[in-house]
Order: sequence, then structure tokens, then C-alpha cells
Amino acid sequence: MLKINPQFIHRAKQASKLPELFPLFQNAIELEHSTIPPYLTAMFSFKPGTGDYIRTVIHSVVIEEMLHMTIAGNILNAIGGSPDINKKDFIPDYKCHLPMGIGGELEVGLERYSRELVHKVFMEIEEPEHPLELKSRAVETDTYKTIGEFYQALQEKLAELAPEHLPGDPAKQVTSSFFSKDLLYPILTKTDAIKAINIIVEQGEGTTTSPADFDGEIAHYYKFQELYKGRQLVKDPDAPHGYSFTGPEIPFNPADVWPIFPNTKANMVAPGTEERRRLDEFNGSYVSLLNGLHRTFNGHPGYLPATIGVMFDLRLAAEKLCGTAFPGKPGFNLGPSFEWVDVLQPAPVNKALV
Amino acid sequence: MSYLNATHLVFSGDFLSDVSTVNNDPAHYNNATFQPSFQEFGQGASNGWWNPEGGATFQFQNCTVKKVSLKNGQTLTEPAADIVIGKLIRGAEGRNTGKMVDLDPQEQGSSELWGVKFRLVSVNNETLLEGDIRPTGFRDLQTRQQTGGQVNGQPFGGTWTSVVENITWGPLAERSPFLAELKATTQQNRISINLNAYGYYYAHAADGRFSMGRILGTIAPWEEEEPDTFAACRRLYGIYVTKVNNGLPIIFFSNTNFAFDAARKSVSVDFGSSFPIADSMGGIVLKEKLYLAVSKVAVTDSFSTTPVTTNSNSVVIIGEVPYESGPDWLNNTGGIVTLNNINNEAAALLENHQLVLLRPSGLGQYTIIAREAINGVVVRCDNFVNRLDYNQTNQLHLYAYQWGQPMKNVALTVTLEKPTAITPVGPTNPICELPGNNYPANGISFNTTVKTDKYGRAVLPLTGNRIDNPRLYIDGQIYILDYQLDTQPQDPAMGPLANDNIFIHLRDYFEIPAEPQWSDIATTMTQFANLYPIMSKYLVNLADPVAMATKRDILKFAFSQNIHDPIYMPVTRDLSENKRLTILKWLENPVVATKQEKAGLILPGELLASPAEPDAAPTINQERLKNAVRAKNGAGFVPFNIDKIFND
Repeated sequence: MLKINPQFIHRAKQASKLPELFPLFQNAIELEHSTIPPYLTAMFSFKPGTGDYIRTVIHSVVIEEMLHMTIAGNILNAIGGSPDINKKDFIPDYKCHLPMGIGGELEVGLERYSRELVHKVFMEIEEPEHPLELKSRAVETDTYKTIGEFYQALQEKLAELAPEHLPGDPAKQVTSSFFSKDLLYPILTKTDAIKAINIIVEQGEGTTTSPADFDGEIAHYYKFQELYKGRQLVKDPDAPHGYSFTGPEIPFNPADVWPIFPNTKANMVAPGTEERRRLDEFNGSYVSLLNGLHRTFNGHPGYLPATIGVMFDLRLAAEKLCGTAFPGKPGFNLGPSFEWVDVLQPAPVNKALV
Repeated sequence: MSYLNATHLVFSGDFLSDVSTVNNDPAHYNNATFQPSFQEFGQGASNGWWNPEGGATFQFQNCTVKKVSLKNGQTLTEPAADIVIGKLIRGAEGRNTGKMVDLDPQEQGSSELWGVKFRLVSVNNETLLEGDIRPTGFRDLQTRQQTGGQVNGQPFGGTWTSVVENITWGPLAERSPFLAELKATTQQNRISINLNAYGYYYAHAADGRFSMGRILGTIAPWEEEEPDTFAACRRLYGIYVTKVNNGLPIIFFSNTNFAFDAARKSVSVDFGSSFPIADSMGGIVLKEKLYLAVSKVAVTDSFSTTPVTTNSNSVVIIGEVPYESGPDWLNNTGGIVTLNNINNEAAALLENHQLVLLRPSGLGQYTIIAREAINGVVVRCDNFVNRLDYNQTNQLHLYAYQWGQPMKNVALTVTLEKPTAITPVGPTNPICELPGNNYPANGISFNTTVKTDKYGRAVLPLTGNRIDNPRLYIDGQIYILDYQLDTQPQDPAMGPLANDNIFIHLRDYFEIPAEPQWSDIATTMTQFANLYPIMSKYLVNLADPVAMATKRDILKFAFSQNIHDPIYMPVTRDLSENKRLTILKWLENPVVATKQEKAGLILPGELLASPAEPDAAPTINQERLKNAVRAKNGAGFVPFNIDKIFND
């Protein structure tokens, strides 16, 4: 069960004015973002043409994390705050704890895909307050505060403090044709915001009675669980909660994954090498993306499609990195490092020997 | 005079151009003969050349402002004098940086920049000036590197000239005297830009510069009625052939723009495009004295291994070229040399006599390294790279200048290059027959004579007619037009790699089916999958209709972008509107036949027979184009190391 530092819930509950919720929604944006690099790294670690099902599952989770980040950003804009996305400390320094003390001692890194990684990290991140026992799993009980409770506290506080028509500028709301209007819509009223928080929680955790949310979409925890178990989760009327891991096998061959060096950092690679440049270019694209998203969430929602192009650049750069041998680390390849770079400092000119 | 205006800014740094190279080989377009090895790194037709997984990205890297010149003649090189010094040139932020693409596998000599953003920013990322570089193809390909070509894979350089449009100015701009001056002169919200590129790396060298090159950039005012993609200025052509390497004359100082300002008695010469450099980084080892002079007599010689000489009776010396040997001069000055207060005799002569670049070769004797265009005539086409659909008319702008002034009411003649022959399969062309170009002649309509207006500009409407798959496995056809003053041919000294032609990719006639089936787009999509492995390997197998259907939302997104957006698909921008709309229509309802259709993969029919005469020798422009493509691709490049540029 993922713990959250109770002070954040406490802060939410103590809030007496809407602006006191601004930093908490900023925390929510950072939290939703913080899981994306680890998931993407695992996904990109597959060699081209392999791991299709697994990639698709991870990809679907990543897309929903992006949705959650967008919703949190929209709510923050709706209540009058401003998302802050293009700054160095927006990015976790992997391997590290998640924001808000989430997960307690759990450390999250940028690593190649493995079932162990799914089990020990991804399922931990996404674990619901009360996981459903789907065939084999024992129900744990405890009294920790969870991400779900954090969002619930925000929801309750919005209900208490916010006017029905939220004060933020509606022109700042970000929507996208890539998401259904039921999931991503302008947050204009308190009711919109409360409903949107339900989407975040349900997609992450499922409902208390089913691994699926109310739209029938399997929650993240159970998606990862099927990867761990190596069997697809399918509807099963005879099983408790209507689902069981009795679907087709999910094949995984560890040889399909590049041996990327865990938590690769740019400074592990000598400057002036092609490998370092590629890593710097990846990080440059990543920072460019954060800059683009910052712009999108700060009054230019029409900029979102442009940032999607950068996401594809980022992906191509990452996949190429994963296929590149790590200079000086025999047996390892480079991984995407997702680091802030001061992209504006030009590299020293490598002067010709003349 | 565009970028050679007295008011100009020089920056230098690197560019990254991650072009894809499977499509450098026309035979690779043939789905029927395509092999997986064509996607593998390696030289030769049965491999994918030097960067098969390129993504066509173009971006500025490590570019900084080095110097500015003001209209009062002042040159500033310190941030204390102008805050713009040391500021950075960068591409887009939060969206893709831009693309560099060829027009066609059979016209690779004018690679264009598309969707490239130009941003002048502080180290804190505050914008001083931002805009969009209008698409432009490179010109003036020429030899640059004396040595070290084997390190990066080729020794050539080229030039992109364009305008930066949709300019926005940041608050910081007000603090820069240069930017204030530039802003005050800005017309139609545009400025001119020139990018001299060299030292581009095809090789995975130890210095980590694979797919990077150096860039010397200039921005300056753009003036209404001037062309967009070349400078309305005078030109020097190199005529001194240092050596002939593998059949290609090596000429330094081959294509050089310059401007003469009579009122100010100054000459500005852009050696950034042509100065011989030692290696891929812009260092100079040349140590000899070079002089700019005016020739009192006409010099009409073309380039030759036999040096052309002159003497002090025939020239008036303007001054010595103040270059400096070592690593810094080009990178700090952009190679733009301005000689002010030139003597009255030279200034008077320059009004209608040729500028020459000289090297002393004895007492009162000089070797002519480069000379101005014959009669000072420069005729160029502005929008010279054309993508043309059936029934589409592009208005091409041709400009004629003499001694830097517009030539009014003169006739320009335009002719279609003669057809080239089909290349049969053989030892040097192992995969399949390659189509010839420039036929059928009735594929395009244009006036063969046009007249210039008071701006020296002639408008040439160019219309695409119906053609039906003459190249069978490559869409459409390539047509190349030549143009010249009707009273004077184009200058023979323009260089062995010059590409002052009009390049046209006319697309095949194609009707959008009412209900597109996979078979309607299978040929095109399979070709994309073959040619751009980066897509199929990492994103979606474009040859697989089921995979396409799965990713239909993102594909619809990419295929429906504005062509000026860097994320537009296809990246190569070589698909006719109707074929692009057919793909979009199929994606709306991605019907996949139950039986896996092979249809479309192997095309029925054969190449349209070429009307070329058997064994006809290529024209001079066809020879240049062939040289340019080989040079640009680094194909068959035989490295050389030239210690001495001047042999005599």
C-alpha cells in the first residue's frame, strides 16, 4: 500500500481559501508526471518489434497519467492558479522517492522492463487503497494515507470552498481530440472538478468493487498485475469481482529488452562523444516538451498539438538511445535519463587543430 | 542587397540535420525489388547509406551572436556595446525543431528546410526576436575543405537564403542598438537570413559530430520587391581550379555574394560561403595575400586548370582581404569582409566593371582567383523548388540584375532540360531500371519567354498537367527548367556543382476513390515503410493496414497538419494532395480486406519509355546536377588533402 506523507492531506483539510489549494494541485501535477519517465523507460527498453502487448499496456497507462496531469492542470487553472512545469525541480532525480513522500521508502528509477520491476515498483505505485482479490491475492488492511485519500481530501475541500462557477479563465482550459470529451473537458464548475478527480482516482485504482472503472477500463494496478502474472485479465462471471487472470498468456522474453543501464545520467558519458550528444539531445527535447507544456497550461491551450510532435521526437530519441552501447560500461546500453539540461548554455566550440 | 546590408548580425555555431538516407537511392522506391538490407547502414545501392534511421530533423545548436554592424559603419563585438552579442540562436521550443528534406530521389541537389523556427534568445531564454524561416532549398554547393574530408565524409558546403517571417520582438530587443535599427527597417514583418553551412558529418567520427555541421549565419533587413531565397546582389565565381579530383574540378572561392554601396564607397563580400577551410570546423590555413580589385577589362574565362592572369594595368586594387589564418576568423566574422572608403577610381569603375579576387603572382602580375559574373549579370529564380499537383499553377519569380541593379524590361527565356534516358540494370545500377526525367514534355506548361518589370522581376506561371505514372514506382516526374537572359547565356563559371535551375516535382494524376480501400494506398504506405525505417521500426508499421488502423488517431493528426508544420506527414512533403486526402479518407474508415492484399506492392506496367536520344551526352546542367547529388550524398567521394590551393 502506497503511503503519502499525511501532512499533504492535512494541508488540504486545513485549507480555508482556494489559493491554499494551489500548491497541492501543483503537487498533483508533479505526482502524475513523476511516474511517466519510469513507465516510458520500461516501454522504450523493448527492442523494436518485440513486447507488443506489454508496450500497449504500459502505453495505455502513460496516456492516462498524461490525462491525469492535464486534469490536475485544468483544475489548478480553474481555481485561479498557474501550473508551473518548466523548472528544474519539476523533474524527479531518479532513482528517488515520489513527490509528497508517496510510497514511503519506495524508490522509483529509470530501468529496463522486467516483471520484477512491474511487481516491485509499478504495482506499488498504482496500488489501490483496498486491492481486490482477483483469484490469488490476499487483502491487506492498514491505516496509511493514500493517493486516493489525497485526491479525496482535495475533492472535499473544493466542495467546501469553491464557488459553483470557478474563478479561473475558461480560455486556459486544455482539451484534446485524443481524449474523449467525457474524460477531458473544460473544468468550469465545481461539479466539473469533482467529477474529474473521480476520473483520476478510478483510472488509477479502479472502483471498490471492480478492477475496472465505471467506463469498463481496467485500472492501472490491475493492468500491471496482468503483466506481472503473465496472463491477460479477462471478464470471468464465475470469479470474484467478475474478472480473473485466465486470459491468453502474455509472453515475455527478457532477451527482448535492451540492457539499459539503470538510472543513466548524462554526466556518466564523456562530453564530446556522439553518445553524450544523443543523450543531451534527448534531454533537450524533454525540456523543450516541458517548456511547451508550460506554455500550453499557461494561456495557450492551442499549443498542445505542437507538443505532441515533440513527444514523438522524444520517443524516437529514447528508442535509439536504448539501442546504443554505453561507452565504458560493457554489457550495458544507454537509457533515456529525463534530466533537466540548461539547454541554453552552448557547448564549447571544439576548435580545429590548425 | 538583403543580408549584405550595412545593418547586419553575424552568428555562428552548429546545426544538426538528421536526414534519412534510404531514400537517397531512387531504386529503393521500387517496392517490388526492395530488400531489408536497404534499411541497413552501409554504402552502396544494396544498403541504406550513412543514416538509414534518420528522422529529417533540422535544428540550430550552439549558435551564438558574434558581431553586429550598424548602418553608420560601426562594428560591435562586445556585449557591453550591444547586448545582442553572445545571445543564442535556437530553433523551436515546445514543438518540433524543423525538417530538412529533398524534393525527390531524382532531385537531391536543393534540399529544403521546412518548419524551421528562428529564435534569438538570452541565456535565460528571454526572446529578443522570433520568427519562421520560409522554406528554402540550398544553393551554391561548393568545395570548402582543403583537408579532412574523410573525417566527416565529404568536403562541400552550401547556402540557404531565405526570409524570417512572422517576426515577434521581445522586450529585451529594445535594449539592443542593432535590433532597434533592424526593427525600424523591417518591412512586412520580415527580415532576411543567410545560412552558410559546411563541415557536415556523414561519418561517425571520434569527435561525436555525426550528422552535425557548422553554420555561419547572417540576419539583416529584407526589402520589399527583393527575392526571398537569394540575395539581390552581385556575384563572384571562382575560375581557379586547384585540381581535378575523381573527375570533379576542385574550385575554392567558387560562389561568393557581394554588394557594392556606391554612396558609401564600400564593398561587402561574403566569403562565408566560399573561403577555403582547413577542416570541418572552419579553421583557415591559407596564408597568402589576396586582393579585391576592379578589372578595367571584361573577364569572361570559365574555370580552368590553366590559371588566368592579369596585371596592374588592367586592374585597380581596392584592398587586401583582411582574413586571418587560424580557427577563429570565419567563426567570429562569418567571413563577411567589408572594405570601406575605397578609392575613387575603383568606386567609379565598380559601377559597371567586374570585381575580381586576385593573388599576386609576380611583379605587377596577378592570378585571377575569382571574377564577377560576365557583364555583372545575375539571373536567378526565387521559388526554384516546386511541388506541383495536377491542374495546379505556381507563380515563379525570376529576377535579373546587372551590377546589382534590377534589369527592367528585359526578356528571359525558359527552356525544359532535354529528357534523360532510363538507366538499365547493370554493375553500377544493380537493383532495377531507373526512370529518366523531363518527360513527357506536355506534363508542364509554361511561357518560354517572360519579361521583367521595374524590379527586374518576371512572373512565370507554371502549370502541372496530367501525367500517369511515367516513373512507375516513383510518384510523378522530375522536370528541370533552365533560364537565362535572352541575350546572354548563364555564366559558365557558376561552378561544377551549381544548381541555378528550376526544379519541379510534378505529381501523378490521381482521383480520390469514393471509398478508399487499402489497395488504394498500399503502394504508397509500403514505400514509406521501406524508405523511412525510423517510422516502421519505432512507431507504426505503415505497410500494415491493421497497425495503421490501430494508430489511426495519431496518423490522422499527422497527415492533416499544415505543410509548414514540422510534424506534417509525409515528412518529405512529396505526396500529392489527392493521395494525402485518400490516406486520410481511408483512416476515417480503415477497411482491410479479409485476404491480405498484395495488390499495390508490385505495380503492373513498366517505366514510360524515355524520348532521350540513345547515348546522348548529358547537358552541362545535367552533369552539374549529377555532381551535386554525388557530392551531397558523399557517394564515391575520393578524399583529398590539399596543402597548397595555388599551384603556380
